[in-house]
Amino acid sequence: MPARKNAKSIYEDFNKIVANPVRQIKRLRTGAVRIIGWVPTDVPEELIHAAGALPIGIVALDNPAVSRSAPHMQAWSCSLMRCALGMALGGSFDLLNGLIIPVICDTTRMVTGIWKQTKPYVFMDNFLLPKQIDRPSAKDYLIGEMGRLKARLEQFMDRTITASELCESIKLYNYNRSIMRKLFSLHTCHPELLGNKDMYNIIKTSMLMPKELHTNMIAELLQMLEKKVDDNKSGGKKYNIRLLMSGKVWEPPEIMNILDSLGAVSVGDDFCTGYRYIANDVPETGEPLRSLAERQFSRLPIAAFAGKCGDRTNSIIRMVGETHADGVLFVHLRYCEPENFDYPMLRDDLSASGIPNFRIETEIGGLPVENYNEQIKTFIDSLGGGV
Amino acid sequence: MIESPSFKTTNLFKRMMAEYLERGVAAKEKGIPIAWVTATFPVEIIYAAGLFPYYPENFGARIAAKKVAAAISAAAEKQGYFPDLCAYARCGIGNAFSIKRPVGEVLKPDVVFCSNAQCGSLQKWFEAAGRYYQVPFFLIDTPLIENTPTTLIKRYIVDQLHELLDFLELYTGNTFNFSRLAEVISLSNEACRLWNEILEMAALKPAPFGYFDACYHLAPIVAWRGTKWAVDYYKELKKELEERLDNKVYVIPDERYKLYFDHIPVWPRLRWFSNLLLERKALAVASQYTHAWAWRFDLNRPLESLVKNHTEVFINRGYEYRLEQKISLMNEFKVDGFILFSNRSCKPKALGLYDKYNIISERTGLPGVIFEADMSDERYFNEEYIKKLFGEFFDRLEREST
Ligand code: SF4
Ligand code: SF4
Repeated sequence: MPARKNAKSIYEDFNKIVANPVRQIKRLRTGAVRIIGWVPTDVPEELIHAAGALPIGIVALDNPAVSRSAPHMQAWSCSLMRCALGMALGGSFDLLNGLIIPVICDTTRMVTGIWKQTKPYVFMDNFLLPKQIDRPSAKDYLIGEMGRLKARLEQFMDRTITASELCESIKLYNYNRSIMRKLFSLHTCHPELLGNKDMYNIIKTSMLMPKELHTNMIAELLQMLEKKVDDNKSGGKKYNIRLLMSGKVWEPPEIMNILDSLGAVSVGDDFCTGYRYIANDVPETGEPLRSLAERQFSRLPIAAFAGKCGDRTNSIIRMVGETHADGVLFVHLRYCEPENFDYPMLRDDLSASGIPNFRIETEIGGLPVENYNEQIKTFIDSLGGGV
Repeated sequence: MIESPSFKTTNLFKRMMAEYLERGVAAKEKGIPIAWVTATFPVEIIYAAGLFPYYPENFGARIAAKKVAAAISAAAEKQGYFPDLCAYARCGIGNAFSIKRPVGEVLKPDVVFCSNAQCGSLQKWFEAAGRYYQVPFFLIDTPLIENTPTTLIKRYIVDQLHELLDFLELYTGNTFNFSRLAEVISLSNEACRLWNEILEMAALKPAPFGYFDACYHLAPIVAWRGTKWAVDYYKELKKELEERLDNKVYVIPDERYKLYFDHIPVWPRLRWFSNLLLERKALAVASQYTHAWAWRFDLNRPLESLVKNHTEVFINRGYEYRLEQKISLMNEFKVDGFILFSNRSCKPKALGLYDKYNIISERTGLPGVIFEADMSDERYFNEEYIKKLFGEFFDRLEREST
């Protein structure tokens, strides 16, 4: 199939969507489709899709909106939630039909009440993920919780979700993830063809677009890029440093531009809006609700869930080995307790394993971006990189 | 306890607390496992299994009351723990890294039990402690109960209690003793009943006992619930309060106002706040915090009943439920105004309070005040700002009640 566009124009399309989520929601609503937003992370979008609604991740942020939440949320809570609520208050999400907030920390646990009070949508739900993941009770409970969410969605959408519809949605999502993984692997080998900003925007836009359309676009992109690799057209910019990233989200997004400009490639991460989002699939055999739960327990560990002792450390160390990363860059949002609790031990364990690591603290609508630039540059220089 | 003639029971409290801590040290020496537990963990099971339960949160509160939270926290901050984390956690962690230990050393755990019904901070803090001390960490995961508790959640937690019993049997090498559990639960019931009766005395006008006293006398209902100790302690306290009533001894003899105080107190400023209210003849009489332990257990269904009480606690409830509970306490105690504390240590209590302030004002018509501070860390305490806020609040209270 001949390519309709060139890679650059596909990146441009993605960038536009990320830059203006409100316009994107408007565009999507032109059809009769109902849109259900979800707050990161780990909401089973497949269920929303199977119910016939369009899931949209609340992942593209608008810095000036933070201040709008000030009368409702203390300034010492994380800027991710302050920004999301601020955007809602400013009307950015007025076209949503519903919103699902997973309880993954004290802030998400509390924000639902505030949100319902200040900006209710017709459908609102707290998705209550289990926080312990090692014991059998967790799996039974999660299957039940998936069932509860399914029933609520069915009621809201006034239809039943059949097992085969859910399986179809799972397949669609798995396929989308598998292509993104291919792109990611191409990105880690050939960042000069697919840099950090474009790769991570591809992941972000997959949360903001109908999966079918996104899959078509990235399949086309993959084809073009693979051809370039085959034709040995991989010259251009040099990337000398390989970084593994860790944190809740890669905000502010300028971080990826900074890495691109400094010649550092992100070879993996445990961001909820990054590689972790695409790292693993839902098993396509068996009872689909059970499969959705199974995926949850095999996802990359993050601070929200208490797993086998040291799991996250081991997982990061393993990823460093597999990706041949030169070091780990932690990107932590100010006031994000789960990350802040994990950090000191992660830092010490990585250092004890001889893995250089560095933490930057970010805040949406906070510090000027130049600050991060200098900090990251210092770290990269210490790794012997720099362009 | 503060300005009123001091309670005899306060001395008893000090003696028993010292003895409890000594017992912990002795238990450790004898090889009885020290089990860290959280305030809403079903400690009855730990007592019944013969372990020694220890409350790092209580340790944190003691550090705070001694006004040394900032110094102890500094030791944790030096390790990379951030000053915006819950101060109890910072102090518990800080103690492990400190050389100076003004309230002694936190008792090292042999096993760490945690319920996240209160907050995610405990989950993270205890998980870190399990790794630091290299001991097992067992989490009872308690999903938020927004409105009515669902069968799904109840079943999940009962399943986890069974897993806990399995864990304990393997850990201790003994089969779990359900008749011992029944004894422990009866003692819990008795202590909770007494605690409730004591709290209710604050509704009398003038009252012999108020919220700040309750904060002082709260530790036994949390830590010794399920033991004869707690029962004996609250019998003594209740007896003393009854004597006070007979002798007409009140916290504020010419008490003018009753107030609702939401949340934990500012520990290092307990007396300061009590005096601030006293100057305007106002007594804080009720709080979701102190009322959280007024439980009743059903001996016929011990596990289900432990689940019910420990997981349906206010802090694990949704926005509207908590709001209604605050208002119903305000009604029950016939308060004239309310105080909300936006505690930066405690997001699960503080987030949403500004909207709640407006809603409570609207629904009750009562004057209120909301202030920013930290329950432990005086670096976040601005005396002038609070005096000014409270001055305005009291002026409104006076205007509106005349
Ligand atoms: S950034 Fe951290 S504190 Fe904020 S919602 Fe996510 S996990 Fe919670
Ligand atoms: S004060 Fe709040 S955040 Fe800290 S341990 Fe208690 S409930 Fe958790």
